[in-house]
Amino acid sequence: MSDCVIQTDELCKAYGPQKALDRVSVKVGPGAIGLLGPNGAGKTTLMKCLLQLQPMTSGKAWLLGREVGTEGREIRKRVGFTPEMDCHIPGMAGCEYVTYCAQLSGLPFRAARQRAHEMLDFVGMGQERYRRIDTYSTGMKQRLKLAQSIVHDPEVLFLDEPTNGLDPKGRVQILELVQDLWKLHGISVVLSSHLLHDVDQICDQVIIIARGRLIVHDTLSNLKSRRRGWAEVVLTRGQTDLVAACQREGWPCEILPNGHVKVEHHAENLGPLLALIRTQQLTLLEIIPSPNALEEFFVQALETAHASP
Amino acid sequence: MPLHNAGYQHWKGEHRGIWYRRMTIAANGLNGCLRNKWMRHLVVVCWTGALLQIGLLFVVGQLLVKDSAVVRWTGSLNSQLQLFAGGLTSWLEQHPEISVRCAQNLLFYYYTTALLGLSFAAIAMVIPHLVSRDLSSNAIVIYSSKAVSRLDYLIGKCGTVFGLLVLTWLGPLLASWFIGNLLAPRWHFFWHARVALVHVLLFSLTTMAILSLMALGVSAISPREKASVGLWLALWLLGGTFVNLAQHGRPWLKHLSLSYNLDQLALAIFRLGRDLNLARDNIPVFGSMLDGLKSHTVERLQHPDWMGAAIALVILLILAAAVLIWRVKPQ
Repeated sequence: MSDCVIQTDELCKAYGPQKALDRVSVKVGPGAIGLLGPNGAGKTTLMKCLLQLQPMTSGKAWLLGREVGTEGREIRKRVGFTPEMDCHIPGMAGCEYVTYCAQLSGLPFRAARQRAHEMLDFVGMGQERYRRIDTYSTGMKQRLKLAQSIVHDPEVLFLDEPTNGLDPKGRVQILELVQDLWKLHGISVVLSSHLLHDVDQICDQVIIIARGRLIVHDTLSNLKSRRRGWAEVVLTRGQTDLVAACQREGWPCEILPNGHVKVEHHAENLGPLLALIRTQQLTLLEIIPSPNALEEFFVQALETAHASP
Repeated sequence: MPLHNAGYQHWKGEHRGIWYRRMTIAANGLNGCLRNKWMRHLVVVCWTGALLQIGLLFVVGQLLVKDSAVVRWTGSLNSQLQLFAGGLTSWLEQHPEISVRCAQNLLFYYYTTALLGLSFAAIAMVIPHLVSRDLSSNAIVIYSSKAVSRLDYLIGKCGTVFGLLVLTWLGPLLASWFIGNLLAPRWHFFWHARVALVHVLLFSLTTMAILSLMALGVSAISPREKASVGLWLALWLLGGTFVNLAQHGRPWLKHLSLSYNLDQLALAIFRLGRDLNLARDNIPVFGSMLDGLKSHTVERLQHPDWMGAAIALVILLILAAAVLIWRVKPQ
């Protein structure tokens, strides 16, 4: 259990007759974990149950090896949370707010103030940290939420839709920061999102939830390998030649609107496809194995969930 | 652009304990209140009251000493007043315990209850900084995601009210007691005034605990700040109406007034009736003065309805606790 960041055993959460979480059992190791599911799937509820923001109806859960419900304070000291909604304290300046959050986690005032400034630097906030939070834009508030969630140096960070309302540049920056937290600093990240691209970009494990049930939990590479046999080929020219050659091999293929050729080669690896391209003497610019694998897997998983009673 | 991005660093220091986190919540709330200039003015008014009380204690202390400057000065104003002061002086000589105790007990009763009104006003200003604002801004989620429980949060918020009441009420009371007795003509005033101090501490600390919980409960009723302030003012000011209504047939109605209940508690703790009897028995001039008091005033002082007040306060506290349990949740 100690190797697991998150473990749940038959975890249930019900709102009256409505089951938000239905017997969720999962063991999750350290890493960047994507929590995927459509709106209302139970992603946020799962996070909140783990953080004790909502009581569980039944079942058990452990976070960082400690049982949720009995060691709340001790767990939350080691965990960070970036909620989806705005939840700042009105009237405070950004740096004051982050300092206060650090103090709430037990950091002495001086250390809290210094670390608050470091974290605000880390998330890319400048002089605006001295302004009242009420005047912040959505992007600034998202950065501030991230800063307050890491100011006490957590071991696990829960992010609930952290890129909501951000422009493309801001989204990329936030995702890069989150990625760095795991890859460079070893802080496990649980990223809840309905944006598959975000999860695909930074996560190495994926949990898919639908209708309160766990549909799949696996590494992203394993999930992609399940969808092996697809590839997107980018050529300088000769797309029609490749299509003809693939059809002769019996591989379904098509030319996409962007000029790429999508090939279903049915093989475990790209060897046969590369050999075919070589024999056709085509100039290969790029080959993307299993493009949109996560999206396809996600849709397939949801269909399975909806089909089951 | 960041000011200076040194990247992410792990924190290696020691974490402080739970009481530090609770005090952080309390200090943050108090800091927020004191940013309001009206609150700062109110604090100044309360401390000005303390100066007046010190002056009063000084004058009373001087009245109890033979040939003091104040006695001589009263003699220059009015010969009867000098006679009265002379009586007091001889009373002090004979019963120092009773004279200092009774005088200070009476003075501190009035001063304590007078400052209570200002404390109600101070709480009206602090109410938005308690739970209302956190409810409206969803800040409760942030507290709940940190290493503090709901109880820690409430203790911290209670600490905000407590801290404010120390500034506006207990602080001036203790300062006036200490400095007033420091300026007294004899050192034994400190010893004889101990009963007044015990009464002040007992009443103010009990009332501070009651008011803190009541204020939290009222603040948690609505996420709208104006509604919370309005409710508090209603609870405070409409109490007088209930007391008036109670005179017309339904005596229990007076217990709906928080001020009335606290006043009964004050009378029970300060035991003014006992002091009046002592004064009446020992000083003839006081006896004739007290005979002039209306019977219902004497009855009120000697037999406060503390049991009814205590029951009413307990019910109000239970209601406040129920509101807090119902409203202060992470979600």
